[in-house]
Amino acid sequence: MAKVEKRILNRVEGEVELKLVWEKGRIKDAFIIAPNFRGFEFILENKPLLDALVITPRVCGICGHAHLIATTNALENLYRENGYEIEVSQKAQLIRNITLSCEIIQNHIRWFYLFVIPDFLKFNTDLKDFYPIKGEKWRKAVYYSSKIVKIIAIFGGQWPHTSYSIPGGVMCEPTQMELMEAISIVDNVLEYFENDVIGMNIDDYFSIKFLEEFLEKSKGDLKKIIEEAIKLGFSDIGKAYDRFLTVCNVSPFISQGVTRRKKCNFDVSKVEEIETFSFLENGKSKFSKGKYSWAKAPRYEGKPFETGPLARRINNEDELFINLTKNFKGYYIPRIWARVDEIGKILVAIKKYLLNINLNEPSYIKPKVDIKNLEGQAYGFCEAARGSLIHKVIAKEGKIEKYDIITPTVWNLGTRCKNYLSPAEKAIIGLSDKLKAEMVVRSFDVCSVCTTH
Amino acid sequence: MKTLLWLQGLTCNGNTQSLLNAENPYIYEIFSKINLLYHPSLSIENNLNEIIDKILDKEIKLDFLIVEGAITKNKNFCKIGNYSISDLVNKLKDKAEYIIAVGNCAVHGNLPAVYRENKDICGLQFKFEEKKGLLPSDFKTKSGYPVINITGCPIHPAWFTQVLMALYYDRKISLDKFNRPKEIFMYLPHDGCTRNEYFEWKTEAEEFGHKEGCLFYNLGCRGPMTHAPCNKILWNRISSKTRAGMPCIGCTEFNFPVRENFFDTKKNMGIPEDIPLGVSKRAYIMISGVAKTLKNERVSKKLEDTE
Ligand code: SF4
Ligand code: SF4
Repeated sequence: MAKVEKRILNRVEGEVELKLVWEKGRIKDAFIIAPNFRGFEFILENKPLLDALVITPRVCGICGHAHLIATTNALENLYRENGYEIEVSQKAQLIRNITLSCEIIQNHIRWFYLFVIPDFLKFNTDLKDFYPIKGEKWRKAVYYSSKIVKIIAIFGGQWPHTSYSIPGGVMCEPTQMELMEAISIVDNVLEYFENDVIGMNIDDYFSIKFLEEFLEKSKGDLKKIIEEAIKLGFSDIGKAYDRFLTVCNVSPFISQGVTRRKKCNFDVSKVEEIETFSFLENGKSKFSKGKYSWAKAPRYEGKPFETGPLARRINNEDELFINLTKNFKGYYIPRIWARVDEIGKILVAIKKYLLNINLNEPSYIKPKVDIKNLEGQAYGFCEAARGSLIHKVIAKEGKIEKYDIITPTVWNLGTRCKNYLSPAEKAIIGLSDKLKAEMVVRSFDVCSVCTTH
Repeated sequence: MKTLLWLQGLTCNGNTQSLLNAENPYIYEIFSKINLLYHPSLSIENNLNEIIDKILDKEIKLDFLIVEGAITKNKNFCKIGNYSISDLVNKLKDKAEYIIAVGNCAVHGNLPAVYRENKDICGLQFKFEEKKGLLPSDFKTKSGYPVINITGCPIHPAWFTQVLMALYYDRKISLDKFNRPKEIFMYLPHDGCTRNEYFEWKTEAEEFGHKEGCLFYNLGCRGPMTHAPCNKILWNRISSKTRAGMPCIGCTEFNFPVRENFFDTKKNMGIPEDIPLGVSKRAYIMISGVAKTLKNERVSKKLEDTE
């Protein structure tokens, strides 16, 4: 007889519920339930277009900046769709990249130390340094993740929830001295990353192509956790579909693409959102039988895809990660590693961006046409901490007629469709241990507030 | 040890994220002094129900109940285990020494309360401007305070931690008409803004992207009409929106989610519809007129070109 069990999953962004169906000691079916709903897409309706810059960041307290950038991109594309040029200086583009990148680093550090590692303490009490609140490593993670977002404050005034990016550029005009402060923060966080997280020099780290090489050379927390995970039998668990989606290029280390066996270009017209199992249907709430979560089910050519740092590594054809997906039958470990790996890649990139800013360029070039004259629809894309973020705006008479947001977490943790479970649901089928199932779900970096918005 | 329990209703978690940025005290310093019973994002164990039962059985004394996020009774829209957020608040409201609402959602309902399909969304003691929240208008906790409201979308961590520390050390705090701590919310973002010189001489920024110019007259800045010490206690201890060049959007006020055109100053015949707090329209017009006729060399140039 199948036994049904419901569990709340805490220590994620917002809470989700897991409904597990057990049979013969294994998970036979799994439902990931996002029970909270605020209706942001509806709150946005009829608002002036630029107000979306203020409203969408408030979808999420940990990745709100990504929503700001996606909205900015959508509104700039709306100009283009209407046949108007929109000029953005390289300086403004670099500053946007910098602030978005800082938010991602903040997210990855907090996720690894505050959300993921505490699970390992349940197996190994020797990891005292990592204990929440008391542990030195936990404290450092809070300290450095807060330090990196100071750079967002330099350019955007504050983190979370600035709206300093706008069609045509950014609102700030930094001085050279402010750039220097930002650079010193990057250097400081990079030093922490080298000393604590990877436990080795960053250039040596980037040259690593194989698991064994890393385990041999590294002295960092990442290595410790990977070894723990291997010891606990995580090598074989956590695989979803082996299908990966990335929607944006971020020079130099993220390239857009859709990989299943081979890689193709991403084409937004192949994305659809299925509502069969979602409480949200045609813009109305509906609680009929079978529906179980506020999340929808995004599909690409009808199939579920995993998005996020691991997808970015695969789509970037990163040698180390291609090897890791061969080493590990399950993707729990590569998924965690990819997030932590990205911290290093981004830190190095931010420093380059900062040094490349030409302060003589304008921060903002006022669009020639008032946004109130725009009509029609446009997309905005962004690679956020948890993966690919898609915004779609439909404008009418200078206002938002409709706004659609497809978050990374809804790709990974959304509902099922008739043919497929969501990637995270799929990843825990067959497991016999509920704590491990929770850990696999956390490896997708759960954010329930984004999943439903 | 005093105890603290953190609940979340309908929220973006931005207040928790903001709190993680706290300095002096850092979050781990606070929770070395105060026993954190449960926080949904930080706790290692998932034992909220057990803790609540122990509080109800008086096995644990609850000092600080912190609520982040808007309140609804409707479990279809917000559920914590088998309960709604309003169930949990109702269970604990008479047990807590203090209740602190953090962020505009918990205080006023904020953006979630604008969503038309779920009409019962509100704050703990207010819904927007009115005292029509979940708890009655005359509600007081054991300590004699009403719900103490820290507004902001999100809160600045120091607004919360400084108030928490004051209560921890049994000091008295005074509240304003929205039950916000006076010593925090008696300031305006305008106080201490680096653009004050431009405001004084009515030198208005015409467009974004400049460190010079005041954002009040054209670009919608709410700094002179909003209660918040954003240019006194800097954000991330670094800067503020208005210093960076973004207009204040008045995120600490009850009407934040219903105001529109954030980057545009509403005017009637050239006079801003809302003028700085404390002055009459007449006084504002007179003083701006005078300031405009007198030229200040400094504010008419890029800063690099000033003497
Ligand atoms: S920008 Fe806003 S806060 Fe700053 S001086 Fe002008 S009105 Fe005041
Ligand atoms: S400057 Fe205004 S909008 Fe920004 S945080 Fe302060 S009160 Fe809120």
